[in-house]
Amino acid sequence: MAVRADEIPVPRGRPRLSGRVRGWLDRESILGPVFVTPALLLLLLLVAYPFVMAVYFSLSNAFIGRPSQFIGIKNFVRLWESDAFRQTFQNAFVFTGIAVAFKVVMGIALALLLNQQLWFKRMIRGAVLLPWVIPTALSTLGWWWMFNSLYSVVNWTGIALGVMDPPGPNWLGQRYYAMAAVITVNVWRGLPFFAITILAALVAIPKELYEAAEADGAGANARFWHITLPLLKPVLAVVVLFSTIFTFSDFNIVYVLTRGGPINSTHLFATLSRVVGIDTGRIGEGAAISLYLFPLLVFVVWAQLRFVRKQAY
Amino acid sequence: MRQVSRRQFLTTATGLAGILASGVPPAWGQSREISYLCWNNFAPLMDKKQLEIAQRFTKDTGIKIRIDGISHMGPQQAKYASEVQTQAGHDLVEMRMHFPWLYEPQLVDVSDVVAELEKKYGKALSSAYEGAYVHGVWRGVPQYHGMFVATYREDLFKKAGLKVPDTWEDLYTVGKELKKMGNPVGIPISQNYDSISTAGPVLWSFGGLEVDKDGKTVRINSPATVQTIEWYKKMFRDCMEPEVLSWSDASNNESIQQGKAGWIHNPVSAYIVAKQRKLVTADGINHHRSLAGPHGRHETDVPRQIGIWKFSKNVEPAKEWIRYLLGKREVYDEWIMSGDAFNLPAYEKLQDHPVLKTDPKYAALRGEGVQYHTYGWPAPPSDKVQLITNSYILPNMIAKAVTGTSTKDAIVWAETEMKKILAG
Repeated sequence: MAVRADEIPVPRGRPRLSGRVRGWLDRESILGPVFVTPALLLLLLLVAYPFVMAVYFSLSNAFIGRPSQFIGIKNFVRLWESDAFRQTFQNAFVFTGIAVAFKVVMGIALALLLNQQLWFKRMIRGAVLLPWVIPTALSTLGWWWMFNSLYSVVNWTGIALGVMDPPGPNWLGQRYYAMAAVITVNVWRGLPFFAITILAALVAIPKELYEAAEADGAGANARFWHITLPLLKPVLAVVVLFSTIFTFSDFNIVYVLTRGGPINSTHLFATLSRVVGIDTGRIGEGAAISLYLFPLLVFVVWAQLRFVRKQAY
Repeated sequence: MRQVSRRQFLTTATGLAGILASGVPPAWGQSREISYLCWNNFAPLMDKKQLEIAQRFTKDTGIKIRIDGISHMGPQQAKYASEVQTQAGHDLVEMRMHFPWLYEPQLVDVSDVVAELEKKYGKALSSAYEGAYVHGVWRGVPQYHGMFVATYREDLFKKAGLKVPDTWEDLYTVGKELKKMGNPVGIPISQNYDSISTAGPVLWSFGGLEVDKDGKTVRINSPATVQTIEWYKKMFRDCMEPEVLSWSDASNNESIQQGKAGWIHNPVSAYIVAKQRKLVTADGINHHRSLAGPHGRHETDVPRQIGIWKFSKNVEPAKEWIRYLLGKREVYDEWIMSGDAFNLPAYEKLQDHPVLKTDPKYAALRGEGVQYHTYGWPAPPSDKVQLITNSYILPNMIAKAVTGTSTKDAIVWAETEMKKILAG
């Protein structure tokens, strides 16, 4: 009986290694983890490891270069005995609350403005980002000069315009003025993040909704409250969430402008943590200061993300 | 490829086995290179001169040296902490004030080098002992110090017929006149080091202290502190401007250089910079000794030391560098001269240094009867005493008092804060 060539059985030896690897990589269940692993390793190395170390330090009496012992939550409890820490705790909420509130309101206003048909639209949108792009320490140095008691251009302008009596406020030397100064710089720096993100959300709102509302006789105010704001909510929630975390953990602005003074009235967790943890070597206590709000922030993140999910689905 | 003979192979293999068995690398494989982490000097010419000296050191000894600079205010301590935590980094580090206490277990005993230098130049200054002589062992080699003298506008004093003050009370008398002339006294009362560098000497001169020499007993609540605060209150009211509450370490320098302040308490940097930048105020600036109180003349100076990390694998070459830089009189002199009297030798016999004769305005830097101290004196600079210092409790106590808190309440606040830190 004649046998056709394609009917001759091919010997089924082991496929070559490269072929086998290619075969595995064709399977999504293997390829996915392969792609994710480098990022995961980086996260473990650069985020998880330092975080776990910080938690460990905060629960110990670690001092630079000396053996440490586990002391439980003693650092966290003892911190409340410190006047500087209690003041810092209060400052952090005042600073974050006021700064984020200003950034939300001004961010929406700026985004609405940028959404209008403006001349040199692209250039203006680019310029708005500038405060966010310049290195913080550098731009804050400029503000330090503007608030400086000897050279203050803020006071010079105020006096020239007749709105301030000479010599003008001592911006960085009086507690409320100093807080106002650090909040001003934080708002100035954080505003572009709000404005640009909200602008992106504004652009995505379908024009038909406004046209329909207008046809029904809705004015500009009604359109803002009933269309714009509700549709911005998910984006606003995410932006506020990020900003709250960043603002709570701000360091550069206070460190350059006031170093926590006068009389600790502008210290934030990060600046106090640096003084205690680095300048005096008490790493354990320093880590406890920086992690103090971690449980609260985790709750805020959880609540905000839950809200966003509800809004989205 | 070159053929290897059987003899060559056997020789190499035997040598390699010997190295592996002994664990000692061959001489040509041992590192003869050291690295040194310094601060960026306020007198930049000293950095330049040090690099020059380092090149000569390499030529003379065959030891290569790499010198890295870092800003001293913020990054320096963070860098030191990371080197200690990772047990890796430079061989030598420049330290200031109490650092040898802070890093005591990590620093090599350098008593042998200090003994050689003291034999040559006399005893190290009191502040050098306070900062680097830790539990009977030198953990840093004293290299130089910068002094907190009084810098004043001699031209304004002459014009108004004012007497150069000798005591803190004298300063109040002339300060009132200066403020009337629009040239107030400039003493910072804020969260910076210059504030502590003045508050400490004033407190000590009135007989007060923060913590006793046992390092455990808080002594801030005393009549001397009351006197100190009352002095600050009247100074703030009659001789100064409220701007001092926001000043940074540089502000008093700027104030006298720009023609505003008539008197500041600071190292000679204000004058040196004014001279270098050819500011109009430079000619009118002069110095006098830091002021005295009923309990003598005390000064905070800024002692600098060189330390060697214990994890360094090049301790001996590192010591050779210190001996070369500080132990050779001609090299030490050359280096000090390049700093234009900003940094002066830290040894007794070198106090009348030639650099003081390079400008008549340095004459006041020749200190007699002055006691130099590090922050927190007479308490040993432990981590707790440093936390008291770095929390700015002393200037904050004064700031509270001058802005309305009663003297008694301000002192009780400071006492409570200090006690909490020492108990922690």
